[in-house]
Amino acid sequence: METELQAVGLVGRGASLSHQVFIQRDYSDGTSCRFQVHFPSELEGRVERSLFEDTVKTLNDYYAEAEQVGGGSYLEGGVACATAYLIFLCMETRYEKVLRKVAAYIQEQNQKVYAPRGLLISDPVQRGMRVIEISIYDDHGSTDSSSGSSSVSGSTARSPPVS
Amino acid sequence: MPNSAGKRFKPTKYIPVSTAATLLVGSTTLFFVFTCPWLSKVISAAVPLYNGLVFIFVLANFSMATFMDPGVYPRADEDEDKDDDFRAPLYKNVEIKGIQVRMKWCATCHFYRPPRCSHCSVCDNCVEDFDHHCPWVNNCIGRRNYRYFFLFLLSLTIHMVGVFSFGLIFVLHHRERLGALHTTVTLVVMCIAGLFFIPVMGLTGFHMVLVARGRTTNEQVTGKFRGGVNPFTKGCCGNVKYVLCSPLAPRYIVDPRKKPSVKIQPPFIRPDLSDRQVTVKVSDNGIHSTITSSKSKKRLDAPDDNETQPPLPPKADRYNQLKSQLTSSEESSLSGKTHPSTPAMYKFRPSFGTMPKVHYHVTGEKIVMPDECKTSAILEEGVRSHDYKSEPNLDLPEYTNAPLHRTFQSSPFQLDSDTINSRTLSLKQGQRRPEKGQLPALQLQTVISTPYKSIFSPNTLSNRNGSLSYDSLLNPSLSPVTASECMSHRGMPSMGFHSPYLPTKMCHIRESEMQRHQVAPTYSPVIPSRGMGRHSPHPRDRDPSPVRYDNLSQTIMASIQERKEIEEREKRMRHGRSQTHIYVQDSGLFDGGYNPPPNACYPDGPRGPGSRGPTPPACGGSRDNLMGVGVVTYGQRTPVLRHAGSTLGRVPRTSSTSLHTDHSSTNSSHSKTTAPEGSYRSPAHQTHSPAMPRSPSYSHQKLSYMSAHERTDSPHLGGPREVMKVNGQMDCHPSAQGTTISPSRHSNVKKVTGVGGTTYEISV
Repeated sequence: METELQAVGLVGRGASLSHQVFIQRDYSDGTSCRFQVHFPSELEGRVERSLFEDTVKTLNDYYAEAEQVGGGSYLEGGVACATAYLIFLCMETRYEKVLRKVAAYIQEQNQKVYAPRGLLISDPVQRGMRVIEISIYDDHGSTDSSSGSSSVSGSTARSPPVS
Repeated sequence: MPNSAGKRFKPTKYIPVSTAATLLVGSTTLFFVFTCPWLSKVISAAVPLYNGLVFIFVLANFSMATFMDPGVYPRADEDEDKDDDFRAPLYKNVEIKGIQVRMKWCATCHFYRPPRCSHCSVCDNCVEDFDHHCPWVNNCIGRRNYRYFFLFLLSLTIHMVGVFSFGLIFVLHHRERLGALHTTVTLVVMCIAGLFFIPVMGLTGFHMVLVARGRTTNEQVTGKFRGGVNPFTKGCCGNVKYVLCSPLAPRYIVDPRKKPSVKIQPPFIRPDLSDRQVTVKVSDNGIHSTITSSKSKKRLDAPDDNETQPPLPPKADRYNQLKSQLTSSEESSLSGKTHPSTPAMYKFRPSFGTMPKVHYHVTGEKIVMPDECKTSAILEEGVRSHDYKSEPNLDLPEYTNAPLHRTFQSSPFQLDSDTINSRTLSLKQGQRRPEKGQLPALQLQTVISTPYKSIFSPNTLSNRNGSLSYDSLLNPSLSPVTASECMSHRGMPSMGFHSPYLPTKMCHIRESEMQRHQVAPTYSPVIPSRGMGRHSPHPRDRDPSPVRYDNLSQTIMASIQERKEIEEREKRMRHGRSQTHIYVQDSGLFDGGYNPPPNACYPDGPRGPGSRGPTPPACGGSRDNLMGVGVVTYGQRTPVLRHAGSTLGRVPRTSSTSLHTDHSSTNSSHSKTTAPEGSYRSPAHQTHSPAMPRSPSYSHQKLSYMSAHERTDSPHLGGPREVMKVNGQMDCHPSAQGTTISPSRHSNVKKVTGVGGTTYEISV
């Protein structure tokens, strides 16, 4: 039974959502968007540490680029003021452009790295940039978990975690 | 629950915004109609143009401030806070630029509010960088629309000044006809402008100061930074730049469009297991030991190998998964069990998640190494576990060594050691990862390849001294070099070259390798008998111990370890003392090595746990709290940490409305209660206080708890875990100093300073 999961991942036969890990924000440098790079223990044995850290670091770089106050942001603000902010109806902001890149990157990472390992990384923007949710799937073939999810991200229905 | 779901239409909340809009648009329209024609004729056509531009600017900013999402956080899903309800503390501390900032749990939105976030009761949302709820625009002012609000204030001030000034000019030129329509209207407009100029100008000046200081209205009125330092300021210029020129933040909405889905189809790649699963077969007179390597938080297996201890319950999930993938049939009691962790096992816990699991089996188990991958896995396991660079991890040398030792020594190697070695080397090279843990793996490989004769020689100690450079222990950075050195010496545990813990595991693995190579006649006499004698009783005779090591006190664990060590040593001494020397010395060498790492990892502790959802707030800034994390996390959250002004712990979802009071208006009261503390640091004291008194008494219990809960707090509890391991290793320490492996070491008492300055006395 295939389960559609937030339009992010199709859970194939034999896989079931085990539990989720949340990578929290790193507020050590203020409110700029950064995520903690430390490797959660739940992912031990599921994914290489280097791959995971690369993913998080790349995401952090993306967000740092999006939030950079520089020439691009000056230009964006000036043009927006000049057009009485009507420009926002036509064009997307720098941040939104970067978020599209982030979404594409996460999609690529999920396809190449995490889905083959039974993991799924969610786009943190869906959680208000507060956490990166990593869904861990087990290949026990459990079919008891209910399928489908209409929640914000991740699946609210999951089999009891294997203890 | 959606923001507006269930809310009735309240017309009263639209009165201020309607009034403001009406006054603004109406007055300006009147100005343009009645005043500007004369002004354009008499003064210049630029006057209406200027006023028109300013008015458009005012309208645009007003519209943006009114209709723009201020930075609303969507409600957290249930799965995000599944661990938090009923048990999580109300506050969580996080360190921002060295200043403790408190994050409060929002019962409505079900997450810990990020710094500067606050819940607006009017909008019923948590807003990022919450400034205030402005009734004149009927919207919260937050991160996304603060700039527009500020520009609205500025432009409105300028507009009012302009309207008033030009109206004054008009009136002064029409003094004689004040009763005329145009003049009267202009006078009315001037009165409105003049009347609202005072509050608007005051508000504008107030926000100009806030922008310059990098504060929000909420922070200013609640006095969060009174007497303290604002961790969010970037300097005056930086703050102004940030407000005016930063990129527009995105909306945190869920994209309802369907994204290209990613297929999740088992079988799943398990990088470490599939690549490095190693089952080592060591047959020893019919007694076979099986070592299954797999990634896991293993440490569990090692302690069980000691004679006096029951088999280690294996790590739960991963072990099971790994077993299913393994071809070995092992299942000694050691490997059969899954156990999160115990204090003893903690010692062996590899610091890297990617470490392959190694199930240390007692003698008599068959150690199968099906292929090179698995061989390297075993090696890597030992190596990784000792990589203190990434995660300080104190492994008890004796424990890690013992099981492996027993496992392998009991039987002559059936494997083709040479083949394995070559494969291991090649495999290891390929698998080498940038992680530091790989260095030990590499070293292990080399170790395998070198003859291990020296290890088992009676002068193992001296050999080790010679072969294993103590410099490697002291200089982990030299680990690659050390690895090669270790390789050449083979028998030397690669201690020190990577981490204090590495040698322990290295010894284990080396022993296994050595035993695998014991097909050579030179080794067989010693190893098999040793293995036979030592290992046989344990895995088979013992059922899974009902005693959970994580519940035992440290002294009990120490004594158990001592007993094991004694037994091992006795047996080894009967059959040969070389190996025990390895254990002892390895552990002893580690003592000096790993003291720094536990402390080194400390600074990350407060920040890390503090920023996680389920961790208790005690982690915020106190070392003692780190020790108590394991305890606090799992039983004492709700009643322990309370806000000064709140009597509630975390409220579960079902009663979330009860905490609606915790919104912006009441936050101020709460904040004011803590205002005397003067800074963001206050919550740390409050939240830590319950935990503080407990910390001294937890010197032993904490360790056990830590091991039990290390999964949750693993990266940040490296300190406590290390302490535990230190304690375990302390047993070996005295003997490592040069004494024999006789029971003499039991008379030594080792004092170890653990995390938070707690000193542990371990009687050896």
